[in-house]
Amino acid sequence: MNPLHSPLNRRQFLRNLGISAAALPFLAGLPSLTGAPLPQRRQRVVIMFSPNGTLPSQFWPDQEGADFEFKSILKPLEPFRDRTLLLNGIYNKIRGDGDSHMRGMSCLLTASELLPGNIQGGSDNPAGWAGSISIDQEIKNFLQSRPETRTRFGSLEFGVAVPDRADPWTRMSYAGANQPIAPVDNPYDMFGKLYGQMKDKESLVSVLDDVRDDLNRVSSKLSARDKMLLDRHLSLVRDLEQELQNTDADAALQHPVPELDPSIELVNDNTPQISRMQIDLLVNSLANDMTRIATLQFMRSVGQARMRWLGIEEGHHTLSHDPDGKQESQDKLQRINTWFCGEFAYLAKRLSETPEPTGEGNMLDNTLLVWTNELGKGNSHTLDNIPCVIVGGGPGFKMGRSLKFDKVAHNRLWLTLANAMGHPIQTFGKASLCEGGPLQLS
Amino acid sequence: MHLPKRLHPLLLISLVLPFGAVQGGEVTAAHPGAAIYQKLCVDCHGPQGEGVAAEYNEPLTGERSLAALTKRIARTMPEDDPGVLVGDDAAQVAAYIYEAFYSPAAQARRNPPEIDLARLTAPQFRTTIADLIGSFRGGFQAPAKGEHGLKARYSARPRDAKPEEEKTGEVKKKEDVRFERVDKQVALAFGSESPDPATMSAEQFSVRWEGSVLAEETGVYEFVLKTENGARLRLNDQKKLLIDGWVTAGSEVREEKKSVFLLGGRAYPLSLEFFKYKDKTASIELQWKPPHGVLETIPERHLIPQQVRPTLVVSTAFPADDRSVGYERGTGVSKDWHQATIVAAVAVADHVEENLAELSGVKPEAPDRIPRLRDFARRFVETAFRRPLTEEQQCFVESQFGFAKSPEIAIKRVVLFALKSPHFLYPELHERAEPDGYDVATRLALSMWDSLPDEALLRAAGEGKLQTREGVATEANRMLRDPRTRAKLNGFFHHWLDLERAESISKDPQAFPGFDEAVLADLRTSLALFIDQVVWSERADFRELLQADYLLLNERLAKFYGKGEVGPGFQRVAFDPKERAGVVTHPYLMSALAHNKLTSPIHRGVFLTRNVLGITLKSPPNAVEFEDSKFDPSFTMREKVTELTRDTSCMGCHSVINPLGFTLEQYDAIGRWRTEDNHKPVDAGGELPMDDGEIVRLTGARDVADLAARSEDAQRAFVRQLFHHTVKQDAAAFGPNTLDALRRSFSASEFNIQKLLTEITIISATKDLPTPDPQLARK
Repeated sequence: MNPLHSPLNRRQFLRNLGISAAALPFLAGLPSLTGAPLPQRRQRVVIMFSPNGTLPSQFWPDQEGADFEFKSILKPLEPFRDRTLLLNGIYNKIRGDGDSHMRGMSCLLTASELLPGNIQGGSDNPAGWAGSISIDQEIKNFLQSRPETRTRFGSLEFGVAVPDRADPWTRMSYAGANQPIAPVDNPYDMFGKLYGQMKDKESLVSVLDDVRDDLNRVSSKLSARDKMLLDRHLSLVRDLEQELQNTDADAALQHPVPELDPSIELVNDNTPQISRMQIDLLVNSLANDMTRIATLQFMRSVGQARMRWLGIEEGHHTLSHDPDGKQESQDKLQRINTWFCGEFAYLAKRLSETPEPTGEGNMLDNTLLVWTNELGKGNSHTLDNIPCVIVGGGPGFKMGRSLKFDKVAHNRLWLTLANAMGHPIQTFGKASLCEGGPLQLS
Repeated sequence: MHLPKRLHPLLLISLVLPFGAVQGGEVTAAHPGAAIYQKLCVDCHGPQGEGVAAEYNEPLTGERSLAALTKRIARTMPEDDPGVLVGDDAAQVAAYIYEAFYSPAAQARRNPPEIDLARLTAPQFRTTIADLIGSFRGGFQAPAKGEHGLKARYSARPRDAKPEEEKTGEVKKKEDVRFERVDKQVALAFGSESPDPATMSAEQFSVRWEGSVLAEETGVYEFVLKTENGARLRLNDQKKLLIDGWVTAGSEVREEKKSVFLLGGRAYPLSLEFFKYKDKTASIELQWKPPHGVLETIPERHLIPQQVRPTLVVSTAFPADDRSVGYERGTGVSKDWHQATIVAAVAVADHVEENLAELSGVKPEAPDRIPRLRDFARRFVETAFRRPLTEEQQCFVESQFGFAKSPEIAIKRVVLFALKSPHFLYPELHERAEPDGYDVATRLALSMWDSLPDEALLRAAGEGKLQTREGVATEANRMLRDPRTRAKLNGFFHHWLDLERAESISKDPQAFPGFDEAVLADLRTSLALFIDQVVWSERADFRELLQADYLLLNERLAKFYGKGEVGPGFQRVAFDPKERAGVVTHPYLMSALAHNKLTSPIHRGVFLTRNVLGITLKSPPNAVEFEDSKFDPSFTMREKVTELTRDTSCMGCHSVINPLGFTLEQYDAIGRWRTEDNHKPVDAGGELPMDDGEIVRLTGARDVADLAARSEDAQRAFVRQLFHHTVKQDAAAFGPNTLDALRRSFSASEFNIQKLLTEITIISATKDLPTPDPQLARK
């Protein structure tokens, strides 16, 4: 039967049976999809950011120690109570140029001062980019420097509804001074980054049959002399098909490629769907050991998301400026922050449901999820007591507790995290703020 | 196309005739010259002139006249004992050789030339993709002629300094534009001042420049932004920043660089935003380093204030195309090539998917989206295949939408399929016995533009207007005005003048202080502008290319080449006609055809022999290196070369090469006029033995230029080279008299290059076109 008439050719038939030619890198010679070493205990860190400060009264528990009760914002974490660590008393003590939002954001993970620059905030001097590497990148570089912890990406930076602009309010990850890293806030782009090669190959494999048939058909009409060239071409197509089939055998992924709803538009009102797509991709990339370090950035500092899905029309940043006495705004901010917590809890849930690929426990056991914010409180613009919640598990972390520290610099928290990941650094960011060393969390 | 039924009748006859007979111009072993050939020539040249390994391993074929061949044999053959074969013997053996295998007619009889099936060459692939995608953005857009520079909007406050607008919000701050103007270049140092104290403060202001940048050559362009303030650059992509330098880092001037691959002869949209906020000073410069150029402020002539539409540029690296026959052509496929086409096809498929709404004109929320995308997919394949689809093909495209999981996946598969199909990669598949209008349109687009037919061509094809020479000529004349033709011709001159060699020029800095990369880049520009002005002037006179007594010089070059002030940019500067003759003495070529300190009469002579006069040269029998230290230090270069090539085995070719090369001894290794070499006066005179036995006296470069301008052989050589570059097929496959006929019409048009190109295009496009009159066709 002529292939152009047949509605289904062999490849398509296989595809429709669900036996796809997927799960392999695009063309020989490229690194394997995960780039990961053999199974071993894998420790991971994910840092999630949401903007504009929190409502301290609805966030921090009244009690200290193991016996604490979640306030309303943190209620979604109830199922993970014994795996949660609340860290009260963490201060971002970085001063210098830039307004609180800028320093809150761009010094959050770097813990050192901003460079002088031309970006004017609501107050203070104008400032530029961060002056040093951020903690996620610091740990990434460490892991990538060792063959046993090296992964294909080393780190992945996810975003949700991050505006398309680069300034100190929109970037928290830095590869070094003056080197901001843009989060990928388009799940389709992220999907392309993670699985694009494979999808391309899948598409390619599925058309090669057709191309071959086309070549055969044309070739049969040509003179012997012209035919020689096309026959050579045909054999190249056949060789490629063969090559692709041979690579079918390797590189089985631990977890199947996620299916993305192809029709979600990247607009404000679709933020809840986009958030879940990104979290699913994040969990998938961790499960397939493409990375062990990730960030998940919701909007940006001073973000004006309009959370109509919560029945809120005003922009988030505008609401965060309203005085404590304005109950309506307080309620809205409470709903907004609870929603963020829900996304954080969803991330924890997905990891807890995914068995650890090495066979023991689930992925949340070996992942430290950190949720933080650029401000302690929206309407005061304070960098004191910034929200800090850790869920999951890792060496040296005794979970299930609410802790209160006495105004410790957030440099020390990142130091603790690096040490937990096996990276024995003594200081991080501004060295003078690291006095006292890592926090005691065991 | 070359089906057995169209074999030449003569060939059929010759196959059945007994050996030794003479029929229809065929000569055989019975020829009186044959015996002499057997005795004196066959050992080195082989029984059929095919050559003998280790003796003379090139086929004995060429374009000399019989008289010229006779003279040459008498003068040089046999190589070990010239003088044995002279007079009537030489005439007889020449006649035999000429008739049996030497002459073009004999070659055509022995190996009937055919048109080879050819795939797109790498440059054709890139242009074709650019125009294929471009056809869904409104077609190729010629940059507007006229004003140069970028449109600038100066605003009083920094745009987005305190951002309120969000992807999610609806607030958008307006620019507070205070004045607009066209800036010729972007190289502005405001210092601590305001651009216009009357309308804006010095503390904060912003500027937005918009327009397009014209890329002359294909290659990697490095763009550089220099500023101590905030700036960002978009190029050929509205959605993505090429350079993001919006946030400063202290008061130092920063240099932000990015490289992009661009296709030559096209314009690319550009926008540059800039702002100052409380910085002590303000300045901005937009520079580039074009291929073979130096880092410079983007010159005015490369900027226009209109924004053209973006172009998809495939930057995939392709393996070099075959050039073994003297021009690039797509007659071979390799694994690397196959791989490159796949990588490129995937990149295009991604681009289509990313820009689906824009390219298809179908919004994501359109209720009839799927049928309209199906229509888009069909149009895409049609454009790629350069003709309407067969029912089968249509059915195939539509079926993709049936089983793909989403229309996006279906589109991607269709794009991959189209770009991997032989109907795309081999523009002329010779599937039809006689070409139809779409075949003619395809040939026209390839010849003129290295691309695919535009909408007008496809319409003409559909309406049956390309079935006559007149109809084809109308289109060819229209296409000639398109900038893509200029790009194609640029490629030809690049090839004709062997500019690739010039790309590696380096000179001894002690011998030529100040002759740096910048001077070289200026020389390249000077030559390109000269060719451009001649070719695109009304007369488009080939002879002016050879004989012009002027150079285009800017200030820097004028200083080097002995002229005073010339004014801004590149200006026409007149010289004594004895001193300069068009491309023959252009300092860029003189520099390329020279050693790093000394001249090279051999390189120059070979160039003039082959490229300018069109005389065939064989490879040297034994490679001899020019070692300057081996000569008497008091020798001039002329004396050294004469000594070096004294051997008779050399003089077969060097009797031509040397006198030609010596005429250029009046130009030093960087092409400056000189009268002395090694403290002795330069002798540029010589005697050039011509094919017909005549000796031409040469006194200098001008004589060579004049000779090339009037010599039919030289004209024919130019026609042949242009034909091959344009059509990428052997000219002989278009009939044995094609080149002669083209040369005659070239001459009749007063050597108008534009008309020659048009004529070549018409001849190649109308090949095998059925004659409208059936009676004529039967004859």
